[in-house]
Amino acid sequence: MAQYYRLSIIVPFFNEAESIAGMHRAIVSAIDPLNVPYEMVFVDDGSKDATFALATEIARQDPRVRVVKFRRNFGQTPAMAAGIEQARGEILVTLDGDLQNDPTDIANFLAKIDEGYDIVVGWRFNRQDKLVSRKLPSRVANWLIGKVTGVPIKDNGCSLKAYRASVIKRIPLYSEMHRFIPAMASIAGPRIAEIKVQHHARQFGSSKYGLSRVYRVLLDLMVIKTVASFTARPLLWFAMLSLPMLLGGAVAFAYTLAALLFSFKPFSLPIAGTGLICTSAAIILWSSGALAEVVYNLGDMRETEFARLTWRISRSASNAHGATE
Amino acid sequence: MQRNPDIQLSAIVPVGRRHGDLRALHAEYRGGLNDTRLSWELIYVLDGAYADAATTLDALVKEEPRISVVHLSRAFGESTALMVGFSQASGDLILTLPAYHQISGDQIPKLLQALDSADIVVSQRWPRAGGPFESLRRGAFHGLVNWMTGLDLHDLGCSARAMKRQVLEDVALYGDQHRLLPALADRQGFRVRECRVTQSPQDHFAGRYRTRDYAHRILDLFAVFFLVRFTKKPLRFFGMVGAATLSVGSILVIYLVTDRLIFGHSLADRPALLLSSLLVVLGLQLFALGLLGELIIFTHARDLRDYKIDRIVDFSTDA
Repeated sequence: MAQYYRLSIIVPFFNEAESIAGMHRAIVSAIDPLNVPYEMVFVDDGSKDATFALATEIARQDPRVRVVKFRRNFGQTPAMAAGIEQARGEILVTLDGDLQNDPTDIANFLAKIDEGYDIVVGWRFNRQDKLVSRKLPSRVANWLIGKVTGVPIKDNGCSLKAYRASVIKRIPLYSEMHRFIPAMASIAGPRIAEIKVQHHARQFGSSKYGLSRVYRVLLDLMVIKTVASFTARPLLWFAMLSLPMLLGGAVAFAYTLAALLFSFKPFSLPIAGTGLICTSAAIILWSSGALAEVVYNLGDMRETEFARLTWRISRSASNAHGATE
Repeated sequence: MQRNPDIQLSAIVPVGRRHGDLRALHAEYRGGLNDTRLSWELIYVLDGAYADAATTLDALVKEEPRISVVHLSRAFGESTALMVGFSQASGDLILTLPAYHQISGDQIPKLLQALDSADIVVSQRWPRAGGPFESLRRGAFHGLVNWMTGLDLHDLGCSARAMKRQVLEDVALYGDQHRLLPALADRQGFRVRECRVTQSPQDHFAGRYRTRDYAHRILDLFAVFFLVRFTKKPLRFFGMVGAATLSVGSILVIYLVTDRLIFGHSLADRPALLLSSLLVVLGLQLFALGLLGELIIFTHARDLRDYKIDRIVDFSTDA
């Protein structure tokens, strides 16, 4: 029988040799007073410095720490995803490895989860970063993400988040989705709360994530929007995409036909040609939609499964067992 | 397949259309394998029906116990032959060798030694025989590969490679991708290293590369490039190309429409109309392809892991 953990704390590290010992101390001194059984999962994202050696040493002294070492650097989302997969606790908390988040905030996150929320997101209300290069773009991005996904969160970029394990473990995380975990998770319709957290300026090392990623964010956003809103009905999505084409084609054809039949105007090649092209585009989109249906059908992501993640069942008193997983 | 625990090194030789005198080759490889001081096995995969090779190999099997020969019913290609050979391999170290003279056999221990600091060792024949045209062609191909993959390799044409078992377990080869195995291994996070080896004096390709061979190589390169860079984000690729096409087309359409409505230029005799509407449609299609790709990734995301774990350190008692 495996040990029971109420809480798993997941910290990805990438070249954070200076921070890792301090991070471990900070977590231990923040969580020990809470009196819950917990474990820590340190993910070494292919660091080139002594991060892994130090992490191993920490794990030797504190068996509650497990270290997952990547073969090479894969990025922040894969590191989070690996930590989430390896964690064994009921509640998963993710933190940045660079001491910018404060582990003393975790207690508030636990309280929120206990209130019944599935995901609790941190908001760095007093963010200690440069205004122009970091804060401003992030504010725009957050506004956009909120608008597009319909999950209005003030600070998607904050790594300090808490999840009910049963929910987050079933949400697909890939590419650079860590910025959109709440949006991605919204497929399952979880109860999301946002709370204020402390934010410290970086003490050691340098930030590993630059600014030049606007178009990636935009495309990722579009992907999430698409998969989140139309996964189960891809044909409908493609059909809607083809609607203007279909309409344009129909109008052009009707006009050409009418012109030919009643010969009130000479035959117009541009109009007939446009009609032809529009219609073929529509047909191709419909075919793509049909193919998408096949793909969805063969895949293993089912809406019912997402519904199952967050449902609550009420039964009559005779067999009531309240909320289940 | 049950793996034989006594075997440390498995050498795989896919035998295809191009093969040398297998008996002489075998003697050379055997010498090199013995020099490694590891317990080894040698697996020949006969990729197609070649009567001469089959006879020689079957005779060899009778003479020596450490050889096995897999006869494939038709030519499946070198990648498939390699994977078939791997499925029969027992060793923790895997060595792939060509069925014709490329490197001299005494270089095999050197390749395996280089494996100490790498997961896959690619041999580079050095010094290399060949005319200036040859080396120019080679330089162009490898320049392209290195630019696309970010590696620094010089001799992908040499199929003598040593690797740890894990590499072939994680990289599924198909088509003609065996040549680009180092790039695919690098993508999975394996350490790739190049090692200079002496070229065999008998290494010369009498035949001629056909245009088809070049076409295959370029297509493989494109496939691998796509796999390496965009596997998990098809919309990034298709979306970028699609959006560019769509916007060029739309701008052209808007220009043509204003020209028609405001300045009264007739559209009928303008080929630009055809171009612009085709661009719009093409852009839309590319975009739809990208979305379809994303859907495929999403529905299979649970099986696709973006990362490769090297190891997990766990000192707790309940592990």
